[in-house]
Amino acid sequence: MAAARADTLQSVELADGVEIQLRVAGPAVRSMAYTLDLLLRIVIYIVVGMVAVFLLISAIGPELTGGLMMIFIFLMEWFYNVFFEAGPRGATPGQRRMGLRVMSVTGGPVSLAQAVMRNFLRVVDFMPGFYLAGIVCMLFTKRFQRLGDLVADTVVTYADPPPVSTPSVEVRAQRRAPPQVLTREEQAALLQFMERAPLWADERRIELATLAEPLTQAPGIEGLRNLCGMALWLQEPEDKRGTPPPLKGAPLFRS
Amino acid sequence: MTPAQFEKQIEPRWEKLEQLLNEAEKSQPTANVDELPATFRQVCHDLSVAQHRMSPQRLTQRLNALAIRGYRVLERRSSGGWESFVRLLLVEFPQGVRAEAKLFWWCTALFYVPAVVMAAFTPSHPEWSMALLGPDGMAQIEGMYGEDTSPGEFMRDKFGSNFAMFCFYIWNNVSINFKTFAGGMLGGVGSLVVLLFNSLFLGAVAGYVHYSGNPATLYSFVAGHSAPELTGLVISAMAGMRLGLSVLRPGRLERRAALVLAGRKALPLLIGAATLTCIAAVIEGFWSAQNFAPTIKYAFGAINWLLLAAFLFFSGRGQTHAT
Repeated sequence: MAAARADTLQSVELADGVEIQLRVAGPAVRSMAYTLDLLLRIVIYIVVGMVAVFLLISAIGPELTGGLMMIFIFLMEWFYNVFFEAGPRGATPGQRRMGLRVMSVTGGPVSLAQAVMRNFLRVVDFMPGFYLAGIVCMLFTKRFQRLGDLVADTVVTYADPPPVSTPSVEVRAQRRAPPQVLTREEQAALLQFMERAPLWADERRIELATLAEPLTQAPGIEGLRNLCGMALWLQEPEDKRGTPPPLKGAPLFRS
Repeated sequence: MTPAQFEKQIEPRWEKLEQLLNEAEKSQPTANVDELPATFRQVCHDLSVAQHRMSPQRLTQRLNALAIRGYRVLERRSSGGWESFVRLLLVEFPQGVRAEAKLFWWCTALFYVPAVVMAAFTPSHPEWSMALLGPDGMAQIEGMYGEDTSPGEFMRDKFGSNFAMFCFYIWNNVSINFKTFAGGMLGGVGSLVVLLFNSLFLGAVAGYVHYSGNPATLYSFVAGHSAPELTGLVISAMAGMRLGLSVLRPGRLERRAALVLAGRKALPLLIGAATLTCIAAVIEGFWSAQNFAPTIKYAFGAINWLLLAAFLFFSGRGQTHAT
């Protein structure tokens, strides 16, 4: 069992009993989304300001215009994000552009109450300036949640699965059973290794295969060959015969 | 069954789900939409099997994305619209205040006691109030509540019209409510600071008017909107304290869970407080600035206090708790 995970996948069990994985988004990409939103807001302010100055003032007078502008600023300040995040897409224009989406930690869409909560608490996340508190909080939580996210129980995730390039190279190796019982994680690591190995240079493959030397019991290219053979065995333990892979997992994979 | 066979077997299901989701997301319900939940469960099951069999990432990731999408569509709910908003205001808000009665009275005391002390203290020792108000503040107070001035006219001069005044109050005061609440996240300190500062400032203004102005103009001006405005501030601080206390004293819950629960409890309070402040802005913008006889204004203010107290004590009693 790996002590620490190198990816940012977060497993969540849905109400239907299935486990899904959320790819949570970190501070960098969220800052970019925020900056895009900020720019958009500035553009909106400029456009609305121009309309107000050139059209509204002559139409309804300066007092009314000033009042309406104050209400508008109030709504933009507090409800711009709420409006978009509670909407069907669950993302502000900036977040959409960066491929992000706000979700409930449970995996469901964000409710209006959650959107209000996470955005009203921006005030504290912003303290003492430039969202410092929020960023520090994000770095200390495993789901990259700022304070507002913690209270609202929300996460910001990538909306789409990462692009997977599938090399169509057939791995040629002697199918062989692993010499010892492998845990499910280890099996998964082996299978993923074989899936991705064609993408790497030979040196890299051998380097990684050498890490598994206790398992392969051979250094260098020989170890790589053994490793691929074991992965093939995991995929199809019996040659072409139709026995399904045992469902109970680890204990059945004995040599 | 080999992975390739498995993939081939489940492919029609996920394609069907994809198609159904495309239809459902466009909110053009077709007859097929009935099959969505069943297809979704089927794909969820396929995902579990794929995860268990360590299927290639390409497959699991695609099923994973589909499951998330499907879950979003199935769990999508309308927020309930106006009906639930009215329920939040008339039932959940007063219920929430009553449920945290102790906290409410603490915040009330923290707000009014310093104000009264400050106001009582100022006429004999005005230095503190003067320091707090500053020269501009003192000038403004004398312009508003001086011997023969009218606060309504002063504000109209400043903002141009009743409507602009009203808009300014909404923007400024409701923003203060929201910030007071958010400040509570810092262990309650932020809410307390805002509460105490406003309390002292209020006391200083009242005391200073007693010292150098005409108290009748002050009281007749603020009487109308005092009930919703002050209570709105107290309750938004209370919502913030609810958050802060859950950080400080989570009780038997994990801190994170306590925080989420406190957030859920605080939201009706915050929305209620903001609504009270909006009501106050309406009164302040369109009623308080009118030149009615002081008696009428005092009576109106007293009625507002009574109505508000009755609302907080009786509204939503006997209604089932929020679901």
